[in-house]
Amino acid sequence: MTKAPNSIQDSRQGWFARMKRRRTARWSLRVLYVLVFLAVFGDFIANDKPIWCKVEGQHYFPVLKQYSVDLGLSGWDARFLQTDWKEQPYEAVLFPPVPYTASGLDLRNSNFRSPFGKQRVSSWRWRHWLGTDRLGRDVLAGLIAGTRVALLVGLIAMGVAVLIGILMGALAGYFGDDKVRIRRGQALALVPGLVLAGFYAFMAPPAGWGIGLRLLVFLAVLFLFFSFGKMIPGKWATQPVRLPLDMLVMRTIEVFNSIPTLLLLLAVVAVLESSSIFYVMLVIGLVRWTGIARFLRAELMKVKKLNYIEAARAMGFSEGRILFKHALPNALGPVIITTAFGIAGAILLESVLSFLGIGVGGDSVTWGSMLSAARQAPSAWWLALFPGLAIFITVTIFNLLGEALSESV
Amino acid sequence: MARYLLKRLLLFVPTLFVVSLVAFFLSRSAPGDPVLQYLTNDPFGTLSSPADLYNAERVCRQTASLLGRDKPLFYFGLRPKSYPDTLYKVTIGFRRKALEQLIEQYGNWPLIQEYYDKVRAMDLALLSLPDSLSAAAASIKPTLRELYTITTEPAVKSRLDKLEGELAARPSLQARLSEDFQSLRNAHARMQAEADHDARWVPAFHWHGLDNQYHHWLSGFLSGDFGISLYERMPVARKVLPALRWTLVLNILALALAFGLSIPIGVLSATRKGKAFDRASSLVLFMLYSLPAFWVGTLLLVFFATPTYGMKLFAGPGLGAVQTGAGFWEQLGVALPHLILPVLCIAYPALAFISRQVRGSMVEALKQDFVRTARAKGLPERTVVWRHAFRNALFPIITMFASVFPASIAGSVAIEFIFNIPGMGWLTLQAILQQDWPVVFVVLMLGAVLTVIGILVADLLYALADPRVKLGKGL
Repeated sequence: MTKAPNSIQDSRQGWFARMKRRRTARWSLRVLYVLVFLAVFGDFIANDKPIWCKVEGQHYFPVLKQYSVDLGLSGWDARFLQTDWKEQPYEAVLFPPVPYTASGLDLRNSNFRSPFGKQRVSSWRWRHWLGTDRLGRDVLAGLIAGTRVALLVGLIAMGVAVLIGILMGALAGYFGDDKVRIRRGQALALVPGLVLAGFYAFMAPPAGWGIGLRLLVFLAVLFLFFSFGKMIPGKWATQPVRLPLDMLVMRTIEVFNSIPTLLLLLAVVAVLESSSIFYVMLVIGLVRWTGIARFLRAELMKVKKLNYIEAARAMGFSEGRILFKHALPNALGPVIITTAFGIAGAILLESVLSFLGIGVGGDSVTWGSMLSAARQAPSAWWLALFPGLAIFITVTIFNLLGEALSESV
Repeated sequence: MARYLLKRLLLFVPTLFVVSLVAFFLSRSAPGDPVLQYLTNDPFGTLSSPADLYNAERVCRQTASLLGRDKPLFYFGLRPKSYPDTLYKVTIGFRRKALEQLIEQYGNWPLIQEYYDKVRAMDLALLSLPDSLSAAAASIKPTLRELYTITTEPAVKSRLDKLEGELAARPSLQARLSEDFQSLRNAHARMQAEADHDARWVPAFHWHGLDNQYHHWLSGFLSGDFGISLYERMPVARKVLPALRWTLVLNILALALAFGLSIPIGVLSATRKGKAFDRASSLVLFMLYSLPAFWVGTLLLVFFATPTYGMKLFAGPGLGAVQTGAGFWEQLGVALPHLILPVLCIAYPALAFISRQVRGSMVEALKQDFVRTARAKGLPERTVVWRHAFRNALFPIITMFASVFPASIAGSVAIEFIFNIPGMGWLTLQAILQQDWPVVFVVLMLGAVLTVIGILVADLLYALADPRVKLGKGL
């Protein structure tokens, strides 16, 4: 992955600048910025509330206010609860460019209104530019809301995957099979240690304990046993044994790779009793770390043989410092590339899941769930075309970025 | 060769073992009570005599035994000391759940058991009342029944108080039931007073032996007995095997198409590197690679397989109608026109991926010295490309089978869903909607086995193609 730089100046530039020299990468980034903008400011672009309005001499900012209402900091004036937003006696009003929300029903335009067909709207301002679905939900507003979901999936799923992948890849690649040696007594104590740590962290405590506390207990019990193991006397117990970290990690990866990801995801998400898009993201991250771990492992195996690591060791730096400050930063290239491709994969996976109707609550609008509506109504071509196009564009730009990165990192 | 294969096979055993553990424990944590699901109508719904209650309990026990749920979960168990090691013998889902909640709260198993038995005793006493009192009994029955499932302290207390009030208001009932009710109250009070909150911190290890759910599930799976579907009450194998056949038909056709097309495309663009054909095919293949198959599938279905737009060029979703009892080949004959679009949708992502790889490895191979030597010898270009370069470019293509095969199986889930092909993916989705977990997890296991077989086949082909992997005499 580390290509020889073309010139000295080339090597001085960061990978980001080098990547941007490719035209496809520049264009992909521009599209990505637009998508990020839509995701962040989606509420101001597609909303059935006005951005600003003046009613009976008072100024209101309903879209902004929605945030504080959602947080429970304030409530709506009675007038806004009684009358629909479209029918308030405004003196002046500024509606968002798309005056609909993703889940808002426009009952007068239900049953699949075509973008080009006749719509029952009072003026072009209220037109559904990309049509509506069976319930009269605006497709364009749905696409904008879906952008946020898609980018969040990419961010959170790959965030989880990168964390696990770096940890596992670093353990396997840097420490390998024979770098970590512990006393035989410690290795022996690890077995009951793991069992009891699991017991005291996940079985014994009352249901009210948080996951953070449980993890703390787990590590504490494990550490306790590890320290006890050190104290076991006798020649047999104090002899060092190797901890085959590389083997363990590679075996784990093999297990993950031999289960078809989509089937595993379907099963896990279906078993979870509460369906939320965040669980889906988390689960995608939990099954997609293997690629990152494998590439990082391979890169670290190369890096750790380089002279400067030897030098760092000769200076007496601790293994942890060498790994995190010297070896890891130099081996992150493949991780960045795999992450770019991984984001594309995660977005695709989530859209397949919501297309199949697994794991998304009935209320949330995603690109995949919009696309699945097209199967029931072949005549609504706009439902088949636009959400799919959004998925295609997003997946493609991340693939293009990955491609560009792999030639510049 | 045989030794090499044996080594690879042995390496897959621990992998599949872990996969089976994952599938098994996921399946046991699935929501819903399989026994009640299998019975479809709740046997505890209408009870009018003690015999009815006994009968309902017996039905549950028998069903649980039929489904293999009346055994301990695993070879051994580690649980807090407060849990008895025989809790699995309670085969009625809601009772086991309530008992577990009570243990969580009070931790004193003998007293909890006593309290729960008293609830049941009171229920029996209610059911054995003569007909003349049944109208009065009907008013307190629902409150009592709630005690089977309600476990939090204030809720139980309010139910008990309510029962007491209702009994006091009806002297005829009071006379017959006061004794049972008093002992229920006492049992509850004792359970509360003598709660053991420390027992949860003491681990207790139980050895269950081979007669456990996992052992039976796995040995059943290995001998082709996949358990019983909770929906329609038929063996899972009878649902899964026909589905597996369609999935394999789809994927084998798709992969044959993908490999058959991508090798010439890849080789051609490698020999014409940088020329128009190479650049055009690279662009098209990259586009294809990024096009989500389930979107393309939906578009093809909407535009070309329904009459809506007047472009019905292909057969619609489903497999077409055949008479029941028709053989597989006859079914396949009818289904073939329906399979064109799904096969295309599974094939094209693989095609894009494989072509790029073939091109890459051919470009590498064409740079080698032996290719230059072959050309220098004056061999015709055809021979150089196909006999010399391509043979050496073949190895990475073969190993790719291991990653393409599972990907196409997974990809066919959405495609089967779109085109209504009753394959494994379609079956999985149906089973998830019906909460038919035995089917879901058998499919998950089979998917893993198929993936592992795919990797094995790739290994085998690699060993066959590369003389450097030592071949034994036998093969």
